[in-house]
Amino acid sequence: MATRTDNEIRELTPEQGQQLLDDKARQYLGISGEEFRIRWEAGEIDADDEPDVMRVAMLLPLAG
Amino acid sequence: MPARTPAEAVQAYRASISRVLSCLTTAHVDVGGGYAPSAAPHALIMAGNDAVALRGASRLTLAVSEHYTITEDSDAGWQVHRAAYFYAIGLHDTGELLAYHWHPRGKSPVVDPHLHVRANIQLGERWLGKVHLPTGAIELEDIVSLAVNELAVEPLREDWELLLHENRA
Repeated sequence: MATRTDNEIRELTPEQGQQLLDDKARQYLGISGEEFRIRWEAGEIDADDEPDVMRVAMLLPLAG
Repeated sequence: MPARTPAEAVQAYRASISRVLSCLTTAHVDVGGGYAPSAAPHALIMAGNDAVALRGASRLTLAVSEHYTITEDSDAGWQVHRAAYFYAIGLHDTGELLAYHWHPRGKSPVVDPHLHVRANIQLGERWLGKVHLPTGAIELEDIVSLAVNELAVEPLREDWELLLHENRA
């Protein structure tokens, strides 16, 4: 077992962050990133509603 | 040594997380928001918040993400503080087993750190997976240590224990 270097860190632009949010909202919840954001900010979605909500909500700051 | 600028503080934080993750996975980390202090948190996300496979007979997966803020303290210089976290340990092909959450913002009335155990067990009218088991604050180092010491995950680097010890200091 060799000693490894640290993992790659990638700085995303807000556009790349929005794309990632959209991809994961569709993958995990079947809605767009924009719809997720609107429903989240309106308080219609709870982080504990289902397992994947928190997974997607954590991406929101990347989207600016 | 205290960070003299927000950028120094953020770079040290990001490097620290990356180093801890390297104990278990080669997955990349995405960050955004730059180095500017703001009321809104910044995010650090491993592998798009997908579950990544860990090495070992237990066939576990891990997902990791954190939110953080950047503040200046008159004595300690610029500092990064965690503002939320999501650490999920899952079983390959089955899904989440354990989900450590801290989400002080948002609609949920539960704002303290907690654990969800994704077991299909009904307790009265509730399912165990929905129950918020209080934990106190969990560190990423705790998750790595749990995985290796108790859950049969094989570390990817020989110096993982030393690295965790140094990171906790």
